[in-house]
Amino acid sequence: MIRLFVFLIAAAACAEQRGQKEFVQSCGFCHGEDATGSRAPDLVRSPLVNRDANGDLIAPVIRNGRPDQGMPALPLSDSTIQDIVAFLHLRVKQAASSSRVGGDYPIERLLTGNAEAGRAYFNGAGQCASCHSPTGDLAGVAKKYPPIFLEERFLSPRRGFVTLTVTTPSGEQITGRRDHLDEFTVSLRDASGWYHSWARNKVKVEIHDPLQAHRELLAKYTDADIHNLFAYLETLK
Amino acid sequence: MKANLARCAALCGSLAAALAQGLDPAALLKPPTDTWPTYNGDYTGRRYSPLRQINSSNIKSLTMAWAFQANADAIKSTPLEVNGILYFTVPEQVWAVDARTGRQVWHYRYRSEGGDHIGHRGVGMWGNWLYFETPDAHLISLDAKDGHVRWNIELADVKLGYFATMAPLIVGNHVIAGVSGDATDIPGFLESVDPETGKMQWRWYTEPKAGEPGSETWPKDSDAIGHGGGMTWMTGTYDPTLNLLYWGTGNPNPVLAGDARLGDNLYTCSIVALNPDTGKLAWYFQPSPHDTHDWDAVQTPVLFDADFGGKPRKLLAQASRNGFFFVLDRTNGEHLLTAPFTETNWTSGIDARGRPVALKEKEPHADGRLLLPGSDGATNWMAPSFDPGLGLFYVVARRVFSIFYYTATGKPEGWAGRDHNLYEESTIRAIDYRTGEIRWNHELGPGESVAGILTTAGNLLFTGDSQGNLLVLDPATGKTLWHVNAGGPMFSSPMSYELDGRQYVVEGVQGVLYAWALPE
Repeated sequence: MIRLFVFLIAAAACAEQRGQKEFVQSCGFCHGEDATGSRAPDLVRSPLVNRDANGDLIAPVIRNGRPDQGMPALPLSDSTIQDIVAFLHLRVKQAASSSRVGGDYPIERLLTGNAEAGRAYFNGAGQCASCHSPTGDLAGVAKKYPPIFLEERFLSPRRGFVTLTVTTPSGEQITGRRDHLDEFTVSLRDASGWYHSWARNKVKVEIHDPLQAHRELLAKYTDADIHNLFAYLETLK
Repeated sequence: MKANLARCAALCGSLAAALAQGLDPAALLKPPTDTWPTYNGDYTGRRYSPLRQINSSNIKSLTMAWAFQANADAIKSTPLEVNGILYFTVPEQVWAVDARTGRQVWHYRYRSEGGDHIGHRGVGMWGNWLYFETPDAHLISLDAKDGHVRWNIELADVKLGYFATMAPLIVGNHVIAGVSGDATDIPGFLESVDPETGKMQWRWYTEPKAGEPGSETWPKDSDAIGHGGGMTWMTGTYDPTLNLLYWGTGNPNPVLAGDARLGDNLYTCSIVALNPDTGKLAWYFQPSPHDTHDWDAVQTPVLFDADFGGKPRKLLAQASRNGFFFVLDRTNGEHLLTAPFTETNWTSGIDARGRPVALKEKEPHADGRLLLPGSDGATNWMAPSFDPGLGLFYVVARRVFSIFYYTATGKPEGWAGRDHNLYEESTIRAIDYRTGEIRWNHELGPGESVAGILTTAGNLLFTGDSQGNLLVLDPATGKTLWHVNAGGPMFSSPMSYELDGRQYVVEGVQGVLYAWALPE
């Protein structure tokens, strides 16, 4: 079953590739090699292409052309036409998913900064070195994460645990990992793992957020700082 | 003007005589008391209730009147309340619920053929009929008595990427319906439909045709204007004396691709004034010219009459998603004030026409650009409120840091990139409409609050935070007067009505509708 599925996906990918080749040769001159239009309309956002199911609308247009609008009929085989249909549907899908910025985002696009300037920022203005070390906790960090996630992680590490120290009216102090903190309630887990909660207005709360420096940097970074710092961190292989 | 009012009054009279349980259209012209007849409560969009039974002196005794479990996704709609029945929605579903008891009267389920189910704002009502938009961009008229379908029309083709979430606005004999969708490059529009037959009366397209005024704000030698955008996501407002509709429009497409569409890109990210009988544009103002960050300007254009610069004026105010607060003269669109209502990092100043000037280097780029706010916005669809007594405009203001990546390598289509959120925190702010000054700031802590705001003549401000608390604040100071952990975040905007001498405040929390009142 899984094999059949993989086979089908591979077959579809082949059809799209063949379709792209054929499209570039037969259609690209007018519709653009990527089908986004040139002398003839953009097919990626064409209503006809978007409404097509398995070639029911596209195939007749390729076969018969649109002589009134200057498009010739193309003498292509049914299977070639189906390949072109597959390619056009792929292009529609690619446009609709163009908001994806995932783990495969190419490092070349991110590497516009200067690693030396990044190192200087790390040790200087960014004050990164007061918590981190390129030979300590950050040794090999560039190998651990895909580039785009490395950038997001240094900008905004989401996993640091906030610690709270609560002083009760009797003067007792309890420190533990934050469970919840809002205008009305504070709760934490103490060192032994037990849960405690209080009304916020009955106790004194001290917040120790290990990521506070990262938050403060968000308001200070220039884009160049970010690109330089990223270039530097990418050298830590 | 007078003719309009007279016509409306005549229509109201004839309809009201024929109705037992339906909506008397006269209610649309009055501040909301025993009726909440439209998404924002009335045409002004102020979400200010003149009710004062629940007030700052008795708020501590506020208690739950009832709860309704919808067993559905988050309720993001504002219920209508007409003759003791509440009408509210989630995508594909409508409920009629007894406004006194919270018992279900009827439930309607639609089966959408695809379409985005991101949220739903509610229904419009004309006489005995309801108007409901669907994820596959249809407009359905239901019989308010039992939820039976009267007719179902297609507003736009879901296969092209259109969907619908908004609550239609009823003006005279027009059902004003907007559409949504920006994952594909399609033109936005606003449509007026006949409430009896469902026939289109007019359609206004966000992008002008080639050669029309506004088309000069798009590149001439490309198909850029055809990529469209400018969706009409949210319910607008209406001035019956001026007979003008006020509507916010969404972002241009491709969403992040500025170089593909150099120019202001009218009438995207704009506030437009339209004639409701013809759909003709009277004036426009553009809060985000040439937007490249998804900062649509669909936040409620709030209407009020007040002094500005020493003389009485008919005003329109919007706290826009890009972080700026705008005040205009709504008779002609004259710009009066622009002021930031939260920190931003994307402008070099304000131009002579009152528009923020975007920094080129903050447009999305392949290597990432840090923005404040991100695409989620300094505020978004959750309702603002205006208290006419205090002269304060209230908005959920958020600090959202985000990094924008431009992904297209060839000709861009669709979004052509995306931003990733880095950190979010939220506040509620009171803005002095005369100066833009922030009179008070109530911190809500980390996270993006999406709770809307209601103010009342009882000197109360109802809202929620992003931690699961419902809040009542003092609208003069922002101080908390009442709160409860309601078990989840509020994704909706509160509303209020009075029945049998008892005032209710209704708030949606995830899939539950809560009604609050004083003890009986």
